[in-house]
Amino acid sequence: MTCDEFQRVLPELEGSRNLEQQQHVRSCPTCAELLADLTAIVDQARLLGDVHEPSPEVWNSIQTALRNEGLIRQPLPQLVQRPLPSHSNFSSAPRWRFAWLVPLAAAALFGSVLLTVHRRVTPVADRPVAHPVVAALGPENQNTGADDVQLLNIVSAQAPALRASYESDLKAVDAYIRDAEFSAHKDPNDEIAQQYLMNAYEQRAMIYEMAMERSVP
Amino acid sequence: MTGARKLQGDRLTEAEAIERAKQGDAEAFETLYRLHKRRVYSLCLRMTSNTAAAEDLTQEAFLQLFRKIGTFRGESAFSTWLHRMSVNVVLMQLRKKGLAVVPLEETIETEEDSPRKEPGADDVRLSGSIDRLRLEKAIENLPPGYRAVFLLHDVQGYEHNEIAAMVGCSIGNSKSQLHKARMKLRELLKTSRAEKAIKR
Repeated sequence: MTCDEFQRVLPELEGSRNLEQQQHVRSCPTCAELLADLTAIVDQARLLGDVHEPSPEVWNSIQTALRNEGLIRQPLPQLVQRPLPSHSNFSSAPRWRFAWLVPLAAAALFGSVLLTVHRRVTPVADRPVAHPVVAALGPENQNTGADDVQLLNIVSAQAPALRASYESDLKAVDAYIRDAEFSAHKDPNDEIAQQYLMNAYEQRAMIYEMAMERSVP
Repeated sequence: MTGARKLQGDRLTEAEAIERAKQGDAEAFETLYRLHKRRVYSLCLRMTSNTAAAEDLTQEAFLQLFRKIGTFRGESAFSTWLHRMSVNVVLMQLRKKGLAVVPLEETIETEEDSPRKEPGADDVRLSGSIDRLRLEKAIENLPPGYRAVFLLHDVQGYEHNEIAAMVGCSIGNSKSQLHKARMKLRELLKTSRAEKAIKR
């Protein structure tokens, strides 16, 4: 067997060699060296392992995307998990009486968030005119306060015992919003902070929705 | 690797994490990510030789996995499922860039890419002088087609029939490309060692 013949079949060998091939390796230093080198490369390749570590931003980006796509269904903090009292009159309250409040609250909250974030990252000269609905609602804090009062009054009318817990829930989520707004304001380019802010407002809207759902018979 | 791999203490096992991830549990997703991130990222980094591209591909591989996790039925190991997905993500990216992952015709290769066919003149063996860093560097310098097959076979442990299916070539072509990759690496490593000796 010549060197050419041996090297031609080398790709097919995968470690096993017939007698003729073994004899050639024993008798040919060049092919023996070639085989030894290739074996050393394969052996070292198997040891390379999984040693490289991605930066933390990779997970942050994945997490953000999962939340945006609704694949992460993080349960709300306990502040919104309240059992319905057995004596509640909620079941008798027509849903339509309160249904208008949910989309209005959600729209107001999200509109306010977008407006707030936009204001904080956009120079005054570059700011577009606010949407009439958002503009008509006034400063976001006042509007939010008025909505909260209305919601709590509705809750009180149906289940006075729950008012305190909803009030507490709203205070907690407002604190979350303030923290998120602070972070977003500190670094307008921080996408994670922006996402936390959106999450905070989503939680607020969910409190409203929870309150509305409790009015459904 | 089984689905019942225990992590530590009272943390989630992989199997538990998979089931909880199907329910949208954030901690479960993170558990699965931390279990497999190094392998996926290492593959992507070695295939692309670019940190930013590797991170993008890692992110894409995990997102595709998490989007489809509801369909995982446990017929194969979760890690196998994930790593195949990662390989597909990388190969798709290479194809998008117009890089032939494995040449369909062996004659397409340039002279520069092909290893020397004649026996080398050097008489000093490589064994004992190859270290991980030198090999990683040499792999970076492989043409994309050689690099892909070498990484999939010798580093990741896929068989030729699996590689052929993934990259869309014949088994014979996969074997041929692997051999050429190893020969090219041999050449690169010997050159590197010679250059190092000259500098001393």
